[in-house]
Amino acid sequence: MFSYYLKLGLLSIRRNPLLSALMIAAIAIGIGACMTIITVNYVMSSNPIPTKSEQLFHVQLDSWDPNQPEDDGNFEPPDQMTYIDAMALMKAQKAYRQVASNKSSLVLEPQGDDERPFSVTSRNTWADFFPMFDLRFVHGGGWDDASDRNLERVVVLSKEINERVFGGENSIGRRVRLSGMDYQVVGVLDEFHPVPKFFDVTNGAFSDPEEIYIPFNVAVEYELPRNGNTNCWKPVDGDGIEAFLNSECAWIQFWAELRDNSEKQEYMAFINAYAEQQKELGRFPRPLNNRLNDVMEWMEDQEVVEDDARVMLGLSILFLFVCLINTIGLLLAKFLGKSGDISLRRALGASRSSLFIQHMIESGLVGLAGGVLGLGLAWLGLRGIEMLFGDFVENMVSMDWVMVLTAIGLAIVSALLAGLYPTWRACSIAPAGQLKLQ
Amino acid sequence: MEIGPIWRAMMRNKTGAILIALQIAVTMAIMVNAISIMQEKDRMMSRPSGLDEHNLFSIASVGFAKDFNERVTIEEDLAALRAMPGIVNAIQSNAVPLSGSGWSMGLQTEPGAEIDGTGVGLYFVDEHGLDTYGVNLLAGENFSASDVAWRERAATEWPDKTIITRAMAEAMFPDDWASALGKTVYIADTQPITITGIVEKMQGSWPGWDGFERVMLVPTHTLFGATVYLIRTEPGMRDSVMPQVEELLADRNKDRIVRSMRSMDEIRERSYRSESSMIKILTFTIVLLIAITSLGIVGLASFSVNRRTRQIGTRRALGASKLVILRYFMTENFIISLGGVLLGAALTVGLNILMIETFSLTRITWYLVPVAMLLLLAVGQIAVFGPARRASSVPPAVATRTV
Amino acid sequence: MLSMQNISMVYRADLVETHALREFSLEVKEGEFVSVTGPSGSGKTTFLNIAGLLEQFTDGRYELDGRDVSALTDSECSAVRNEKIGFVFQSFNLIPDLNLFDNVDVPLRYRGFNSAERKRRIEKVLETVGLASRMKHLPSQLSGGQQQRVAIARALAGEPRFLLADEPTGNLDSQMALSVMELISEINRSGTTIIMVTHDPVLAEMASRNVHILDGRVSNGDQETTAEPLLSQVATA
Repeated sequence: MFSYYLKLGLLSIRRNPLLSALMIAAIAIGIGACMTIITVNYVMSSNPIPTKSEQLFHVQLDSWDPNQPEDDGNFEPPDQMTYIDAMALMKAQKAYRQVASNKSSLVLEPQGDDERPFSVTSRNTWADFFPMFDLRFVHGGGWDDASDRNLERVVVLSKEINERVFGGENSIGRRVRLSGMDYQVVGVLDEFHPVPKFFDVTNGAFSDPEEIYIPFNVAVEYELPRNGNTNCWKPVDGDGIEAFLNSECAWIQFWAELRDNSEKQEYMAFINAYAEQQKELGRFPRPLNNRLNDVMEWMEDQEVVEDDARVMLGLSILFLFVCLINTIGLLLAKFLGKSGDISLRRALGASRSSLFIQHMIESGLVGLAGGVLGLGLAWLGLRGIEMLFGDFVENMVSMDWVMVLTAIGLAIVSALLAGLYPTWRACSIAPAGQLKLQ
Repeated sequence: MEIGPIWRAMMRNKTGAILIALQIAVTMAIMVNAISIMQEKDRMMSRPSGLDEHNLFSIASVGFAKDFNERVTIEEDLAALRAMPGIVNAIQSNAVPLSGSGWSMGLQTEPGAEIDGTGVGLYFVDEHGLDTYGVNLLAGENFSASDVAWRERAATEWPDKTIITRAMAEAMFPDDWASALGKTVYIADTQPITITGIVEKMQGSWPGWDGFERVMLVPTHTLFGATVYLIRTEPGMRDSVMPQVEELLADRNKDRIVRSMRSMDEIRERSYRSESSMIKILTFTIVLLIAITSLGIVGLASFSVNRRTRQIGTRRALGASKLVILRYFMTENFIISLGGVLLGAALTVGLNILMIETFSLTRITWYLVPVAMLLLLAVGQIAVFGPARRASSVPPAVATRTV
Repeated sequence: MLSMQNISMVYRADLVETHALREFSLEVKEGEFVSVTGPSGSGKTTFLNIAGLLEQFTDGRYELDGRDVSALTDSECSAVRNEKIGFVFQSFNLIPDLNLFDNVDVPLRYRGFNSAERKRRIEKVLETVGLASRMKHLPSQLSGGQQQRVAIARALAGEPRFLLADEPTGNLDSQMALSVMELISEINRSGTTIIMVTHDPVLAEMASRNVHILDGRVSNGDQETTAEPLLSQVATA
């Protein structure tokens, strides 16, 4: 019976090609617009590290200014951490793993004479960074704790930089000259493009990941330029790097890996105790307000999904709604237009429910066609967004199979919803009524 | 007019009318709110920067060699740039206005850590700063060469002079901005700094910040390792000067790289990309939406004409002229559209309130509502014209056809 | 009243020409009740369409109420139909979305009467056809005979000079047909000229004169008939 209804549906769609085209177009455009925006929102709010997002915690210590006006009656602790605090937490090693990191811009001098130096972004971090954030390597691996302690000038290259500098060869053990100093390559990463770039949303939630990784301690020792956001609530007390490191300037992102709730509780207790201890030393002038947010909580807190994207999402859903009303109208026109056919079928013994199924299947077919077409339109829409926004959205404009299925599913569900009322009307056409006079 | 019978006939067949009206209403709500967002973005983008934007460009210089002498490099670069034909003036600075990166500080009228300063965007310039930016000095005087200090990356001492924008003066001295001139204010909680000049307008680095137009200029050259040059050219010369400058700087000194050469126009474009893209997307959305709604009206009106062919013929037989039939459908659509836009006005305001609460958007300007109503009424009339024309050409003889 | 001379009507479809009427001539005097009969395809409906100004003809001359109507524009035709001609169709052609009052109102609207005048006329004609009490009903709530009465009321509301009826009883059973025919005869007696197209010879003989169309021409000359005795024939048919 199902195949019979399918055939009837196809026939009916073919019978009024213009009306059918209008309906399919309405659904396709609605789905296309909606899916374009949904995809962008979906990527923006996606989990960048699903396997362990609940074990990774962004650490905030409230070391901030007591004179700053409160925000909605609450102090917000700074997003980043001061050097003193980050070092203290690193030294304490109270979490299963912990990393402090920041960002620099360095100049890489390739070896050949005719190669021009170029600038690269660097993440200055600790040995735990690589296992903690699940980075995979093509060659070699991360450095170890000893390298951190001994200020070894080691470097992990991204796949792209290894390609550019060493032509993609296994470069382990080779030397790379960065801003006037040599570093030894210990590892080459596989592709690594977390979206959002959760471990440093302060400097751009959708920026590209850094091109090289070097030990944080080395960057501090050689006073490499900081290239990220730096916030100070107190003037730095005196000139020179020492004064800056001891200042109340926050410029470090701090993450801890805590494997279960009890580890989390313990760590929270530890950082609170640390804050209390700092209070005794005259720091941390505000009330105790330290935070541990896991990856998704932190993305939420930082409002990684931009307002504009959410506004567009709302508007695009309304847009789909308009397209659906449109489809309801057209389906109604179509179904009532064949009331002669329907009453004939009724007269010949079709039950209401079989007519219901027949017309719902026809609606579903329209939805399927609209969904497939809409998927194409969404792809075009995403290309359009890519064109408009440029590299900023590079990682946000691809649809995975979840989005593809969502698009088709949404189209069919929409069409079925749109078909409900017209179908009901069609089914209530009396068997005789339309036959008598015409 | 025969509104009564049209209305009663419509009420016999409410669904079609309601669907069209609802569609028009939602279309209107989306349209007006989208236009309101576009207006907001447009207002943001059209604020004048105060700079001679079309003739400005910037280029970054990053030293990397161990023995890189930044001070000499800067002095020689500036001398070479200022001597180049086609260039009006050039400065070395820490950041470029509108670029999204920069330095901000707080200035306060009283010294002390407990006092909350007024946030301000800060640029390090020399005595060529005002001329290079192309900003207009309202009061006071420019820096002189002897004012200009050299500053290391981790330095904390501030010079004793600053030029601020009028917006900054107004923020600190709301009663009389002009009184700011000559006043000593405090930077870094306690260090005194005297306002020696006020410029009319200059935008800072972050377009989204409410202190965007609060800017202070400090007479200092920076030795931060990485620096930017901002270069003002003769009108029309920018595009030809840019590659020459890039070559000149790259060749003059091999201990550094030059990068990110961008015209001010490009910087503005990049900085407002999400705003301008949003405007484009919303415009596209509105056009698409109106197209869909019109197609819906055409579709349903055509259906209604087909369904009523016989009664149209009867009406014609009973003496209705073509014009009367045309008017019948136009009037019917007008009534439906009118219902739609009235509902639409309510929905528009409702959606706007929701958006204000959720996304802190601005309120819609009142005139958008009546304009949108008129527009959609017109769209309805245009869309229904085709089917109505077809209706009016139904021959009266249809009435005598028995099948 | 109505004068057709040598009217021809040719339908052209590609290379085929169909002559629906050939040099058709007919005179109808004021107050006459003429029935038009003929087999299917003889040109009855074409004649009716032309007579009612629903269609333009190819050739010939047609005067209605002393006025040459061959060269009228579309909207002039509309006005003539509206003022001078009342139509009664086989399938009633009531507008299903409108109630009885509004249905009868349709031609009056086009006539431009004010609302009081329209109301007076509507109530009067609905009274005449005996349906005044059902003014707010929709056509679908009435029987076929009642619907045809409404259609007749609609035709009469504008007080036309003549009434064109196209198989007015074709969709009715004999009981209803009889009452509708009585109504039409009564209208004729009160002075309205009537032309009725029918394929039923029994009905045709109720008219004062019968015109038989064959192959697009009048075939029988003008036969005088007497209406009275035949009414009973209908009743027994």
